[in-house]
This record gives sequence, C-alpha cells and structure tokens, in this order.
Amino acid sequence: MSEHLGEKLILHIPVGSGGFDIDIITMIMSWIVIGLLVALALLFRRSLRQPVDAKPNRIQATLDLLLQFIESQLTSNFASEKLARELFPFIGTLFLFILFSNWISIIPYFESPTKDLNVTFSFALLVFFMSQFYAVRLNGVRRYIKGFMEPYAFLLPLNVIGLVGKPLSHAFRLFGNMFGGAIMLSIIYSFTFLSFGFPLIVNLFYGLFEGAIQAFVFAILAVAYINAAVET
Amino acid sequence: MLQEAQQVVSGISGADIATAAKYIAAGLCMGIGAIGSAIGEGIAAAHALDGMARQPEMAGRLMTTMVLGQAITESTGIYSLLIAIVLLFVMK
Repeated sequence: MSEHLGEKLILHIPVGSGGFDIDIITMIMSWIVIGLLVALALLFRRSLRQPVDAKPNRIQATLDLLLQFIESQLTSNFASEKLARELFPFIGTLFLFILFSNWISIIPYFESPTKDLNVTFSFALLVFFMSQFYAVRLNGVRRYIKGFMEPYAFLLPLNVIGLVGKPLSHAFRLFGNMFGGAIMLSIIYSFTFLSFGFPLIVNLFYGLFEGAIQAFVFAILAVAYINAAVET
Repeated sequence: MLQEAQQVVSGISGADIATAAKYIAAGLCMGIGAIGSAIGEGIAAAHALDGMARQPEMAGRLMTTMVLGQAITESTGIYSLLIAIVLLFVMK
C-alpha cells in the first residue's frame, strides 16, 4: 500500500572505492522550487519599477504586507533590532524556500523536497552553524566557552547534549510532519470509496495549511535558537 | 485435533512472528506516543485562548508563542512517528 514511499530514484556517483548516493527526485524538486522563487522575484520586481512616492499597486502592497509580517516577527523575537535587521534576509529566504517546498506538493506528481530528511537536516545544520557563528562573534570566544559552564562547570556534558539535540529535533520536526502528511495522503488515496473529492480537501489541508504552519514554525524556531545561542 | 494444531503451528515461521511483532510495535508506538503530545498541545491552546479572551490586544504575540510551544511539544509525537516509520519501512 505505502511501499512506494520507501523506493526512490537514487543516482550513485562512484568516487574512489566508495562514492555517494543522490536522490534525483529531491534534487529536481529543489531546483524547481528555486526556479519558481527566482521567477516570482523577477516578475514582482518588474511591478516595483515606478516612482517611490507613487501609490503602490496591488502586488507591491501584498509583498509589503508579507515582508512586514516577517519583519515584525523578527524584531519582536530577537534581542536587538540590529541582529533582526542583519538576519532578516537569511530567515526570510529560509521561510520562503520551505513554504514553497511544502506548497509544491499540492501539484500532482510533484513531491516536496522537505519530505527528504537530508534537505531538512541541511537546513537545521545551516541554522546551527549560523547560531554558533553569531554567538562567537557577538560574545567573544571566552564568553562563548564560558557559556557551556553555566550554571555549574559539571553541567558541561548536559549543555553539549542540549547543543547537539537542537538541530536534530529541528530537522526531524519538519521531516516528520511532511513525511507523516505524505503517508496519510497515500493511505487515503488507497481507499477507493473516498477517491472522489475527499483526497483533494485532505491534500489542500496537508499541502497549504500544514505546510504554511510548519514553514512558520521552522523559521520561528531558527530565530529562537539563534537568539538563545547569542544571549548566553 | 492435536496434529492439526501442530500443523498450524509449524506453518508459522519465526520471520512471520517478527513481521507481526513489527506491525504491532509500530501501531502501539504511534498510538501511545501520540497521547502525550496531543494532551500537551491541547493544554497550550487552552491557556492561550484564556489569555486571548482576557487580553485581546495580546492575541498576535500569544499566537506566536502558542505555535512555538506546540511545535516543541509536538516533537515527542514526531519521535514516535519516526520510530514507527523505521519499524515499518526500514527494519527487515
């Protein structure tokens, strides 16, 4: 019934004695999402070419609303406004890419790249290294290392485990939600008596609603993790 | 009668029992594992609603915090889902 979830198109690239595997579907879908985002950006940029003091048209007003939403979330969650302004492009890109990755699954025969653990894990690692980089840059190396000894020195192993656990849970949360949605969909599609209309509603629920919620949660958690790393 | 029973028993191999145990374990894992995160998310939503009813002007901020808390609460449920997936698809 759900066997096709396990089987995937894998490209094996031999390097030396070993080599590595590449999931072709995930790669193609990621590039489609990237192309879609770039195309939308170019399309929307054309509508921005007008005098600054002119009345904004409909597309510009919508984009302003979206960017203001992301910016207000960032400024209310980050400790300093400077950090929020600096990380706005990073978090915004992450949010938009994951949002469109989740939304693309409502098109038939398209799979969301976030259904692959490798994709979500690389995003989580990106956020992890970003948070550590900002923690070292804003606090200095001494305070960064001293942060692991808080509140007592013998809690160092626990602090390290907490550090490693964050990207793990961050990656597994997005992957689990998207993959769980795909399993639910394949089970519902296999019920033939429900096959008229009902799968469409479920598909829209998992694709649009759940996808938007999970993209928002991923971005907000990235903000929370970076903020927590900076503040210690 | 006894011979029939023995035949039936001998028809079941150890691999069959392992497969059956795998499916039972996946079902139990998902079913029991979902209880905790469901209750936790419900509590978070209930208290956020209490707060919104008391202070409607704080609704936006409460909503963000609620979704964040629910996402963290949900991770235990996601872990049980992952273990169920490993039991069903990965373990042979």
